[in-house]
Amino acid sequence: MSDNRLTQTEPSLNPATADMINIKINGLDVQVPKNENLIESAKRVGVDVPYFCYHPRLSKGDAANCRMCLVEVGMPGPDGTIRMMPKPQAACTMPAAEGMVVQTDTPKIVKDRKGVLEFLLINHPLDCPICDRGGECPLQNNTLFYGPPTSRYIEEKRHYPKAYPISEHVVFDRERCIHCARCTRFTEDISGDAQLGFLKRGADMEVNTFADTEYRSKFSGNVIELCPVGALLSKSYRFKARPWDLHSQKSVCSKCSNGCNIKIDYRQDKIQRINARINEDVNEEWTCDRGKFGHDYVSSDNRLKTPMLKQNGEWMPISWTQAYALLAEKLKAAGSNSAGIGGAHLTNEDNFQFQKLFRKTLGSSNLDSRTDRVHGSETTLLSDRFGYHGMGNSIAQLQSFKSYLIVGSALADELPIIFLRVRKAYRFHGASVVSAISKKDSSSPNVGDFATVEMIYRPGTEIALLNGILNILFNENLLPSNPGVDLKGLQQSVSDWTPAKVEQETGVPAAHISEAAHILAAGTMALIAGKEIREHPHYETVVAALGNLMLATGNPENLNIPERVVNAQGAKDMGILPDLEPGYAPVAQLGKNAHEILESAAKGELQALWIAGEQILNTYHDKSLVRQALDQCPFVIVSELTMTETALLADLVLPAASFAEKDGTFTSCERRIQKIEKVFEISRDIKADWLIFSELAAMIDGSPIPFSAADIFTEIAAAITEYAGISYKSLGDGGVRWRSESSSTNTKIFTAIYTPPAKN
Amino acid sequence: MSSSEISGVREPQPDPLKEYRFSEDAIAEMEEIATHYPERKAACLPTLWIAQREYGGYLTPPAIQEVADRLGLSFSEVEGVATFYTMYNLRKRGRHHLEVCTCLTCAVLGAYDIVHKLEHELGIHLGGTTSDGEFTLSEAECLDFCGAATVMQVGDKYFTQLTENNVMELIDQLRGSPDYTPAKLADAIVKIHVPLSSQTGGGSSKPEDLLLPAGPML
Ligand code: SF4
Ligand code: SF4
Ligand code: FES
Ligand code: FES
Repeated sequence: MSDNRLTQTEPSLNPATADMINIKINGLDVQVPKNENLIESAKRVGVDVPYFCYHPRLSKGDAANCRMCLVEVGMPGPDGTIRMMPKPQAACTMPAAEGMVVQTDTPKIVKDRKGVLEFLLINHPLDCPICDRGGECPLQNNTLFYGPPTSRYIEEKRHYPKAYPISEHVVFDRERCIHCARCTRFTEDISGDAQLGFLKRGADMEVNTFADTEYRSKFSGNVIELCPVGALLSKSYRFKARPWDLHSQKSVCSKCSNGCNIKIDYRQDKIQRINARINEDVNEEWTCDRGKFGHDYVSSDNRLKTPMLKQNGEWMPISWTQAYALLAEKLKAAGSNSAGIGGAHLTNEDNFQFQKLFRKTLGSSNLDSRTDRVHGSETTLLSDRFGYHGMGNSIAQLQSFKSYLIVGSALADELPIIFLRVRKAYRFHGASVVSAISKKDSSSPNVGDFATVEMIYRPGTEIALLNGILNILFNENLLPSNPGVDLKGLQQSVSDWTPAKVEQETGVPAAHISEAAHILAAGTMALIAGKEIREHPHYETVVAALGNLMLATGNPENLNIPERVVNAQGAKDMGILPDLEPGYAPVAQLGKNAHEILESAAKGELQALWIAGEQILNTYHDKSLVRQALDQCPFVIVSELTMTETALLADLVLPAASFAEKDGTFTSCERRIQKIEKVFEISRDIKADWLIFSELAAMIDGSPIPFSAADIFTEIAAAITEYAGISYKSLGDGGVRWRSESSSTNTKIFTAIYTPPAKN
Repeated sequence: MSSSEISGVREPQPDPLKEYRFSEDAIAEMEEIATHYPERKAACLPTLWIAQREYGGYLTPPAIQEVADRLGLSFSEVEGVATFYTMYNLRKRGRHHLEVCTCLTCAVLGAYDIVHKLEHELGIHLGGTTSDGEFTLSEAECLDFCGAATVMQVGDKYFTQLTENNVMELIDQLRGSPDYTPAKLADAIVKIHVPLSSQTGGGSSKPEDLLLPAGPML
């Protein structure tokens, strides 16, 4: 290795292909895929080619503009002798060819690199002492290793307004920009909002948004990491720390169920910033803004630091000893007449102990982690019928279909990383996207930006729309000839859903429905259903109709109804369900679901209700029922980070640890189990939820208290077949998926009777 | 557009309102032009000329938005194109845009004398516009008509063999003419892209009017 620079030298991303060729780099023989760019080839032999504009995940369209990557290249002539090209070549765009000879450190190249850097530094302000990038800056590093020691430039540098905000999160210091086009290509290639562009030319060239407007993107934070200089900066991290003063801990984002791999950079028990950690199977190297900038709650001043008891309407701090005594007394008295709601924000370990406390210690199965909807059993939905939970595909697979149907989902908001995969399929693999949603999403970016057809249907008419699509598929013979399923009944049932009738019912123009049907039948297709479907009053019927479409088109494995909250999938795996124990084993005695729990609490029938890390007042659709329930239930416990609106309605509030203060695992929407690790401790009196549940159980019935989250995980792996064979250690940095292959053996068409939405 | 002068802290600006000004004829021209290229994106330059004509000789942010929307491009991409080429006006010009060639041949033959004369007589500096909005004065790079230097372009016309002494005569003529020449230039350039058979929108459609009096424009 020629050096150990901080930001650039990574292993090559390109897999070996069938078409490998032989080249020589600095005298070393190496086999590389044909046409691979020489920067990647050089990585294979540990030769460092410096660069700025090149990025393996961005298109090369506007690139090859920094000229930092110059190398000398020669090709064998007919007589076998090597003829060097007269000019140096840009390694980032030079494709490898058989017999090619590459020199990266000849005197000529050394001189050229010095020249390139001298030019780049002409207009660069070199204000490293006050630059956030200082210490981890590719421009500093490349100058250190390859640059000239001095500059001959004595004229005035170009000046621009110093750092000013261009978005909610990003500050722009235009003077520092070296015009590498990484940020502009990111907004065009990856996030798709195409908001940053180059204006003007020559020395006046500048990165800007259209007409100086705000840079509005759900992915704006990524450009901060991409920028090879300190031109794009984080508003929240600005001037907070020097990079060498930060500690860094690997973790997983807690803001949605995609489970982005992140690094928490912290100092003085405070999260200073969050950067993406590469996981090719999940987030590649991106994060969304909610994940990158949304974790300030961890170090918020409002964090609860001791248990709080409400007495005569007044909150008083109490000690844990008092809290436990009270809890033990009340819960023991309540016994099976107690209930627990929440868990989607807790770790698997928290949840496992949560359900143990209720099921084993208190003898109650009134548990539910699903608060954004009220539905029947999990097993009757996807898993029984298709053999998988939530998602048929992995996140990574979702970049490789020919067509997509996105139903009822503001995907970029709900599941940003899945959005990026779909966008990648569109941008780099020519996929076509059909979006169907009841309310047009006009935030930036969104699926409608690049969907071939966008169908805006009247809320509640999803089944009519799906029937309409099926009708066209049948009538125009667009379905695969051998679906392996008997489709006669289905054909019959959709036969009177003519495009005209569907247009009338749904409000979607018949021509759009037909275009959509043609796109969806054109090859492998994946369906992603979102919030509108999950919160649908006729959820199960709609899912059945979606399933029918997938069966008919020959794509039964590609139905995806991902969970949205960070560990909603894990909470269900851990049996925070009224009817299923950990691992989806049926319970002996059926408990109440979230809705029933709230109803019985509202009637005053429930003696104790524990709400674990769930702001149910905001998440549950019927707020007055929640208020009534929390009001009528004689003993409401909320374990939370801060005094939320929900917590204010409780009787006892327990200070719980955030994801940065505890160990554990989350299971993402694609069933990937990933580790989070304790980063720091804010207060001795803040406890991980699993510890609270375990200590309490120990007080009530003497159950043993596990030593660590890892211990609980071992117990989980022993208890749940799906987690068997997975150990805390084997999760590694990138996590492990449980049941990664979907095993759909379903050949049954479901009945999906359409109930028109109520007219108002 | 973005300013390059040094100022204090800036804030993002409000979104420009959208307004669509392309006439039906202009849309027909744009669609015709778009068929000349494998991708709609490639019609960006001529469509910007259409916009420059339709929006009265210069490209406002809404003009850029309209071009982007009609071609399915992003606003910033079109703005990038519009700010790259100097022949697109990003600000309102005078009714006549006087572009004096100050490149080698013209310079040798007294282009700067003409510039100074104009500056003096019109009371403006290079880049400025007279207070009555009649004239904007700029320098131009070689107009490729060196044989008849000194050359000045005004809208869609070239005026050649100018001297300090005859230039004011021309100015008087221009004052008298009713034309708004930046839009005429835009129109002339659009017409070059559209075959005669499908020429419709804006300006004159008589073929003889479309011939540029002197010098190739493109
Ligand atoms: S702002 Fe940064 S990423 Fe964007 S072009 Fe400039 S140097 Fe490159
Ligand atoms: S996509 Fe989800 S997991 Fe990834 S950073 Fe955003 S909120 Fe976090
Ligand atoms: S990295 Fe090759 S030119 Fe920039
Ligand atoms: S130098 Fe003026 S036209 Fe060529």
